Formats: sequence, structure tokens, C-alpha cells
Amino acid sequence: MKRRTTLAGIALGALMAVAPLGTAWAADPIRIGYAIARTGIFAAAAPSQENPYALWQEQVNAAGGMELPGGERRPVEFVSYDDQSNPANTVRIYERLITQDKVDLLAAPWGTPMHLALAPVLQRYKFPMVGNTAASVQLRKVAPGYIWFVTSAIPDSMGAEMAAMLKANGMKSVAVLANELPYAQEFRSFLLPALKEQGIEVLVDQSYPPDAKDMTSLLVEVKGKSPDAVLALTYPADAFLFTGQARELGLASPFVLSLIGPTIDAYRKAFGGAADGIVSSAHWSGQSDMWPRGKAFFDAYVAKFGEEPDALDSAVTWMSMEILQQAVAKAGLDHEKLREAIATGTFDTINGPVKFDGVQNAMTPTGFVQIQNGKIELVWPPAIKTADFKPKQGW
Amino acid sequence: MKGIWPTAGVVLAGLALAAPLSGNAYLTGVAFQIAMWIALAQSWSMLSATTGYVSLGHAVFYGIGGYVAVLLVDAAPFPLVLLVAALAPAVFAAVIGLPVLRVRGPYFVILTYGLSELVRHGVMRIESALGSFGRMIFSAPSPEALLWWMVALAVAATLGAWAVRHSRFGAGLAAIREDEVAAETLGVPTARLKLLALIASAIIPGAVGGLAMMRTGYFEPGQAFDPVVSFTIVTMALVGGTDSVRGPVMGAIGFALLSELLWSSFPQLYMIVLGAALIGFVLFVPQGLSGLVDRIAGRRA
Repeated sequence: MKRRTTLAGIALGALMAVAPLGTAWAADPIRIGYAIARTGIFAAAAPSQENPYALWQEQVNAAGGMELPGGERRPVEFVSYDDQSNPANTVRIYERLITQDKVDLLAAPWGTPMHLALAPVLQRYKFPMVGNTAASVQLRKVAPGYIWFVTSAIPDSMGAEMAAMLKANGMKSVAVLANELPYAQEFRSFLLPALKEQGIEVLVDQSYPPDAKDMTSLLVEVKGKSPDAVLALTYPADAFLFTGQARELGLASPFVLSLIGPTIDAYRKAFGGAADGIVSSAHWSGQSDMWPRGKAFFDAYVAKFGEEPDALDSAVTWMSMEILQQAVAKAGLDHEKLREAIATGTFDTINGPVKFDGVQNAMTPTGFVQIQNGKIELVWPPAIKTADFKPKQGW
Repeated sequence: MKGIWPTAGVVLAGLALAAPLSGNAYLTGVAFQIAMWIALAQSWSMLSATTGYVSLGHAVFYGIGGYVAVLLVDAAPFPLVLLVAALAPAVFAAVIGLPVLRVRGPYFVILTYGLSELVRHGVMRIESALGSFGRMIFSAPSPEALLWWMVALAVAATLGAWAVRHSRFGAGLAAIREDEVAAETLGVPTARLKLLALIASAIIPGAVGGLAMMRTGYFEPGQAFDPVVSFTIVTMALVGGTDSVRGPVMGAIGFALLSELLWSSFPQLYMIVLGAALIGFVLFVPQGLSGLVDRIAGRRA
């Protein structure tokens, strides 16, 4: 009896030890590890990030592999796990990737909570990772970092830019509906003072839980106050809920923001013409000809997946891989050299040149996009816009 | 036969304590998870296995402890932080205990779940009112130190569960499980015993929550009060068997190792495999791992 359990224990242990070895022996490819939320409340966002990873891998390998200093090229392969939308799992998975799977490089998971939870892990193992789908002013506390944020959608500058954009378009009153998750709440905390500064009146200020299944009562309240602008600080899952119910109720405000979600191709497919006029967070558009690399990425993505890349998540994901690739070509796989290269270099991306100041992208302006005739157009700031803001005409 | 269980426990605790010495951070992480689930499942059993009042809301104690620990970690020495993290949910249990324990059966299950969700959303609101959007923890102890604390909690919870079952107190709780009305008629102070059991089962999960937040290095209420924690505790206790003290230990080890093995080997399919394994288990081994061991041992003897 005792022997049997012992044997079972040994067998289990042996299995766990052997499982990752199969891939470790093939020393040739550069192995890149990441975790992503394939299940749970963030699952709707995962394809926007995993597709660019897959496309990037395909392109790099087709070109003979990832370039190292001296011109040597090695193919790349991904090692990935599901973090179930739980930051505690993200931490354990990256520890596993670093210490057990012994990957050469890391790619980012989806979402601000996951990135925030990872910062101390990267610090502990001194493993650099270019972040993508996350932003928070809190990350400025981590210094000197092993993590960087490609996006310029950092809540403090977004609050100010949103208020400026509302003012520029003559909006005098707003309703704010915010998801309780950290990124939306952080944006809200910078948005409210910025609105006040611009003299814009806040008629409704409500928060709702991340797993909300019904927003009707909130939207009825908003409709009753008829604000000029409805600012829904959504995550992808509730962006669909918000839009569906706002359409049913016929919300009449000419300015409608849904923070994260509308840039996903499936959103436009789901709502068709009703999605026209929705404003969302992004600083890149496949429609822009400002950035030569951008159009190539857009076309390759559409050709491979039969849908458009998410102007926010897919774009920042692609940028993070461009940066990693250029830094590795310069510094190789040594973690300290790589960290130095990322922290000090200037990189050529689909969103123009990127250089980091601390953890932040210091070059790309914070922007907003609007869906117009089914296309994602940059409407703010004026310097990079591809179209003018148009008031929303019904649903 | 009976003598091997304490020995097994000592060996297990020793192995867990030695895990960091291997220098493998991943093994340290796995040992931490196993110790954490043992501590939680064992604490849960102090209330739910003994009295039959099945709690589906133990995440609330875990979350409160975690929240308190995160708020205090920069301000107080670590042992004191853990102590307060353990006491806070005990106080909470004492306050809510009497009204909550008046309902029984499925109503109690739903009520504990609802209470946990209520506190989760309450803390979310408090956090956003405080202008906090997820808290990063920079002063957490090392993963090794956290593991040693967690093993100590697992041992304490196991000893506690053993002591409860082998005492007059435990006999009273068993009487409540068998027939509460009859027990009351015979002079068992049922209300007081149930309340004490609830408080006892809340203490260690508070400290566990504190350690878990330190381990993740990040606090966000949605995750700290994740109902999946509650579900997992109940699942583990059922897989292990609720008739003995070793049941939750076996359930926690078995379930934690299985899910670890599955997610790392079948990252795309593991939830499906895990679900199928659970269904099979409940259908074919209803007495749990602990009962299975007894049956095999009985057949041999």
C-alpha cells in the first residue's frame, strides 16, 4: 500500500520533470514564452494579441529566423500557457517559463493587472520583457525597470487628451460609466479633474462590476439626463454589452466613447452600422499612411486571418515584437545587454519611431480613434489624424 | 497502519520546507500552492466537514486577510501583519456568524457565496474611492520565506482540524451535523458551537490570503475575492474525502498536482481534462481519496 502511493508519487514527479524536456533538447530555435487569458473574463481579448504573435513568428521564420548580432539567424518558437484571466497564475507561469522551461525571451500577457503583477517577477530574475497591452501610472514606481510599455494610452495623458477632444468638438456635458477594473478606474480618476478643468459638466458618474450582465438601468439613467457625450470606460467583454444595450435604448448622444473593445474586428462585425461613430482608445490605424511599416502589417494580417488587426491591442503587440526583434539584433540574448538595448534604443515601428523614457513610450502621441463607415480612423490628436470626428448619427 | 499518517505528515512538511534548497523556483512555487490549498481545505473542514454547513464563501476570509495584509505590509513587521490578517476575518466571522448560521442546507451555501460576492464588490468600491487601481507590493518577503510561512499554516490547520475532531467541541459539531434539533434538545449549545466553528475556520484562511497576495506581488479585489478560490476549496475537500483529517490533505495534494501537471502539459485542453477527471471521480470514488485508501487497505488486510 505504502509502496504503491510512493510509486505513484515518483511517476507523477517524473512526468512533471520530463514533460518540458522534449522541447528543451531542440536547442536550435529561440524560444519565447508567454501566458495569455484564453479563458475567463479577459478571454475575448486574447486573439487580438495571439494572432500578431503567430503572424510575427511566421514572418520571422520565413525570413530565415530572428537576427542576432553578427548576422546569425535562428528560427523562433513560442511556449504559451493559459493564465485563466488571473494575475496569480500569470506570475506562476512566468516563473515557470523562466526557471523550468528556460525560455530565451519573454513576450507579454494580456492586460494591465497581469503586467503589474509581473513587474516584480521580472525584476527578481532580471529578465527584460517589452510589455504591450497594458498601461498604468503605477509602473513609474518600478525603476530601473525590466518592463516597458509600448502604448501611449497611459491614463493620465489620456484623461487630459479626452477632455481636450471633447472641448474641441463642442461637448458640454458627459455621463461617465466605468468598469470597476483598475485600468478603467485609473483613467476615470484622471478624466474627472481634466473635464472640470475644461468646464465640462459631469451629469452621471457610475461604476459597474467587470462581470456585469445587464447595464439597462445605468443606461436608462444616462438617457434621461441626455448628456452630449457618453463615456463608457469598458473592457472588451462589457464593450459588447454596452453597445448592444445602448443601441436597444437608442442612446441619442452625439459623442459615444467605449474605451477598450471597439477596435476588435469582431465588434464591427457584430454591430455593423450601429458601430459607426463609436470613439475608442488607440493611437494607430491601418488607414494611416504616415507610417510605412503600418500598411504592410495591416495587409499581411488581413491576408492571414481574414479580419482587420485590432488598432489598439494588435498594434501594440506587433510594436512590442518589433522592438524585441530590433533589440535582439543589436544586443543578442544576454538579458542585461538586452535590457540596456531596449532602455536606450530608438526603434522603428508600425506606429513610427519609439524610444522609452523610464517605462514609457516617449514618442508616440496619445490618440483616439472613431469607427467611420466600418473603418478605424484616427480622429485625435490633429497631428496624426486620418479623418475628422463626426457626431454619432443614431444606431 | 494508523501510525503511518503522522509520519507521512512530518515527511511531507519536511519535503516542503526543503523545496527551496533545491534552488528550483518552480518547485518552490508548486510546494507553496500545495501548502496553501492544504491550509485552506483543512480550515474549511473545521466548519463544513464537521457540522455539514457547507460554505461556498471561504474566499471572503482569504480576501479580507489578503486586503488587510496588503494595507499593512509597509507599515508593520511581517509576523504582525500576518497576525492581523488572521484576526480580521475572525472578527468578521464573529460579527456575521449568528444571523448567517440560522439558515441551513442549500440556503446556507447560497448565503455564504452571496456574502463573499458582496464583500468583493464592496472592497472594489472602497478601492476606487481611495484612488487605488490595483496595488503593487514592493516589500514582500522572498518566495522561500513565504513558503515556510505557508507550510507552518498548513501544519497548524491540520493540527487544528485534528484537535477539533477529537474534542468535546468536535463531538458537539458532529451532533449538529447528524440532527441539529435533537442535539439542541439534548442540551448541546448549538448556536455557540457553530459560531466558534465558523470563527475557527476563518482564522487561517486570512493569513493564507495575506501570504498569497505577497506571493503574487499584486493586489486587486476581483482577484483576491475570486469565487474560484471558494469552489476549489470545496472541490479539494470532496476529492480528498470529508470523513477524516487526512482527506483534505490528500485532496489538496492530489488536485493541486493534477491541475499543475495538466496545465503545464496540455495548455490548450487542461480545463476539459480536469473537468472530466472530476466528474469521473465523483461518480466512481464518492468517498474521496481517503476512502479509496481505506478500501484498498481493507482489501489487503
